[in-house]
Amino acid sequence: MTARIIAFAVLLSSAVHLHAQEAPYFVTYDHHMEEPGNLEIATWSTVGIPRDGQKLFFAPFSEFEYGVTARWTAELYLEGQATSGDSAVFTGWRLENRFKPLKREHWINPILYFEYEGINEATKILKEVVGNAEVSSERNADLARVHAHELEAKLILSSNIHDWNVSENFIVEKNLSAEEGFEFGYALGESRPLSKLASGAECRFCRENFNVGAELYGGLGSTNGFGLHSTAHYLAPVIAWQVSDNSSIHFSPSFGLTNVSYPVLLRFGYAYEIRGFGSKVARMFGGRQ
Amino acid sequence: MRWAFMIMLFAEALLTAQNVNYQQDSKWRAPDEAAAKPNPLAEKPELAAGGKKLFKRNCMECHGDSGQGLKKAADLQLTVVQEQSDGTLFWKITNGNPDRGMPSFSNIPELQRWQIVMHLRTLKRSDAK
Repeated sequence: MTARIIAFAVLLSSAVHLHAQEAPYFVTYDHHMEEPGNLEIATWSTVGIPRDGQKLFFAPFSEFEYGVTARWTAELYLEGQATSGDSAVFTGWRLENRFKPLKREHWINPILYFEYEGINEATKILKEVVGNAEVSSERNADLARVHAHELEAKLILSSNIHDWNVSENFIVEKNLSAEEGFEFGYALGESRPLSKLASGAECRFCRENFNVGAELYGGLGSTNGFGLHSTAHYLAPVIAWQVSDNSSIHFSPSFGLTNVSYPVLLRFGYAYEIRGFGSKVARMFGGRQ
Repeated sequence: MRWAFMIMLFAEALLTAQNVNYQQDSKWRAPDEAAAKPNPLAEKPELAAGGKKLFKRNCMECHGDSGQGLKKAADLQLTVVQEQSDGTLFWKITNGNPDRGMPSFSNIPELQRWQIVMHLRTLKRSDAK
């Protein structure tokens, strides 16, 4: 058993290749799925720059994304949060599944997204923005006691137009633990690599290693009051840099567009991918690759 | 308890999602229009070097460093592969074959996919298999 644990640790630390040209979005999803059998491990963070009456917060989360098949990607998230002048708390976990219903590439490519969230009210990662903006002055310890079981669905539409990716996400979320109705949100993204061609040289700062774009996302109210009233919206330039074959760095400052939005959300993250993870694990436990 | 269940579910997905050994898929055919598409970079053979880098990054894990085919993935050196038109190979890279475990690589910019096709043409032909 010890040998297997050591082998597992070696497997996790082995340098392998990251899927090229990953979209730089933080909130918007495009139609590209994780490659089957690959595991991407990433750490992302959201820093909320406050306006008067708000507090600075830091909300990191870890992501484990696995390509179950070429048309099914599953992800597990673990998240936490620390607020200035308050405490640091674990805020829960999320299990997400994305399905690609069509086999081939089309002008518009739909993806169906379903997520279960076992979180508490202290969550601030803002992985998506839905419903109406709420400003809470309660302390983390109190918020962490209020658990929420939430279901979320997204319709993801995504197109590759020449070298541009254009994606639209329509979001509906239901908190099963409270009478909030169904909450709605959206995310729109557009991005492209800096270079259409790949150079022959191995280089870290080649233009083809950078993917840039912008995203716009926000809430659309709920069944208790649909619309833009008292909703948060953000406009965010995004950039992803493929540092090496096996790792990438992502950064995005999001600017709040309404007076109930945070003025600025700084988002950054690091990701690396383990290729053939599933078959390696299967072999370790005596299965076939 | 719920945690244990979720972890078991995730592990089960890891262990059962593997494909069987590769066999040619006769149903995986590019439409005529796509197959007839010429490589827009054909007059710039020096760009194949960039294709080699992209191949290493995106294809080598399954197809091997020389395209000889690993696991269930195709041997790209075979004549039956090399006989296919540039447009067909480009279409197959773009769309993938999800039923056989090959993902779509449409996220790679169009010209870079053509560079990969150029690199495929440099692979040594073999009918040994």
